Amino acid sequence: MTLVGTDDDLALVDLLDRLLAGGVVVTGDVTISLAGVDLVQISLRALISSVATLVDK
Amino acid sequence: MSRLPARIDAEPETVGRDLGRLVLTIVELLRQLMERQAIRRVEAGDLPEETVERLGLGLMRLEEAMDELREYFGLRPEDLNIDLGPLGNLLPPPER
Amino acid sequence: MADSLVYLYAVGDAAFGDAVPPGLIGVGEAPVRMIVEGRLAAVVSTVDPLHFSEDALQRNLEDLTWLAATARAHHAVVDAIWQHRPVAPLRLATVYLDDDNVRAVLRANEAAFAGALDRIRGAREWGVKAIVHPQPDADLDPTLADATLGPGAAYLQHKRKARDRAARVQQDVQDAAADLHRTLSAAAAASHLYPPQDPQLSGHREHMVLNAAYLVEESAAGAFTDVVKAWQSPHVDVELTGPWVPYSFATLEES
Repeated sequence: MTLVGTDDDLALVDLLDRLLAGGVVVTGDVTISLAGVDLVQISLRALISSVATLVDK
Repeated sequence: MSRLPARIDAEPETVGRDLGRLVLTIVELLRQLMERQAIRRVEAGDLPEETVERLGLGLMRLEEAMDELREYFGLRPEDLNIDLGPLGNLLPPPER
Repeated sequence: MADSLVYLYAVGDAAFGDAVPPGLIGVGEAPVRMIVEGRLAAVVSTVDPLHFSEDALQRNLEDLTWLAATARAHHAVVDAIWQHRPVAPLRLATVYLDDDNVRAVLRANEAAFAGALDRIRGAREWGVKAIVHPQPDADLDPTLADATLGPGAAYLQHKRKARDRAARVQQDVQDAAADLHRTLSAAAAASHLYPPQDPQLSGHREHMVLNAAYLVEESAAGAFTDVVKAWQSPHVDVELTGPWVPYSFATLEES
C-alpha cells in the first residue's frame, strides 16, 4: 500500500505529515481476507509486547 | 492520527503463501530473539564450552531451517517483516 | 444533524480583503470563500455533514482514498491563497457549526492567529528527510574467526560480530542525523521534528532517521538549500522537499 509511484504520490506522505496531528501510521492489527471476504483480525501488539519483555530480562 | 490497518488480501491460490509469510515472520522474530539472548549468555561468560558449542550448533541449524522454509514459500528475507506502526518494525533492521 | 457545516482551511489578515481566486474548489468539491472578522479573514468552505460531521470524519480519516483526495484539495486551496497573501494554515478537518461559530473563534483567538501570521509572513518551509544509506553486505572474513572454536561457537561469534557492527552503524547514523538537524536548525528561523515516516507509506526500503521541517525567510531560501546540498555523509542520504506553505509553524491554539 505504498504511496510511491508518481511525484504526486511521493508528496502525499509528506503532505499528510503536515496536515494530520500525529501523522499516518499503519496499525499493527492485521486483517486477513480471503477471496475478498474479511475473515480474521489479529492484534500483533499483544504478541510483541509479551515477547519483547522476555528479551529485556 | 490516521490508522490504516495492514491487510493480507489472500486469494485461494496464494493463501498458503500469504499465511506462511505471517507465520514465518513470527518465527523469525523468535529466532532472532533466541540468538540475541544466546549471544548475551555467551558474552556473560557463565556457560561451559560444550554448552556454548551446542547452543551455537542449534541456532545455526535453526537458521538453515528458516532459510529452507523461506525459500519453500518463495520469500526473500525482506518479505519477513510487518510494520507495527508506533511499535516500529516487527524485526530490527537487517544485520549485514 | 445540521444542514451544513463550515470547513476552515486557514486564517489570514483582513487587510488583504476577502477576494478568493475565482473558480477555486476545495474539499468535498465545495467552493471557497472568506469570512472577515476584525483584523482576520478566515478561508472556508460550506460542507456537507454527511462527510464532515465528527462521526463521518472519524471514518473518513481512516479511508486512504478519501484522505488523499481531501488532503490534496485542502492543500490546493491553501497553496492558491498563499500566492496572493500569507495565511496561517490549519490541519486537516477543522470544522465548525456555522459562520457565526467561525467568527467567534476568530475573535476569541485573535492574538494567537496574529502571532502565527507574524511568525510565518514572508517565510517558507523546507522539508528535510534523512534515510539510512544502504550498507553493502560486509563479508566477515572467516579466517578471522578463532580457529580453536567449534562450528557452533564460531557461528555465535560471527553473529556477535555482526550485531556489534550493526550497532556501530546505528550509532554513526544517529550521529549523522543529529549533526544534520543541528546544522540546518542554525541556518533556519525555526525547526519542527516529525516522526519518521512509515516505510509502507513512503516506499523507502531503509529506515528514516530524520523527518524535519525548517522555517526559512524567503530571502534566505537559496542560502538554506545550499547548506542542505553541501551537507554530506556516507551514513545517510538526504532528501529535500519544498518550498512549502509553513504548515508546520502555524500551530494555533484554538478553544
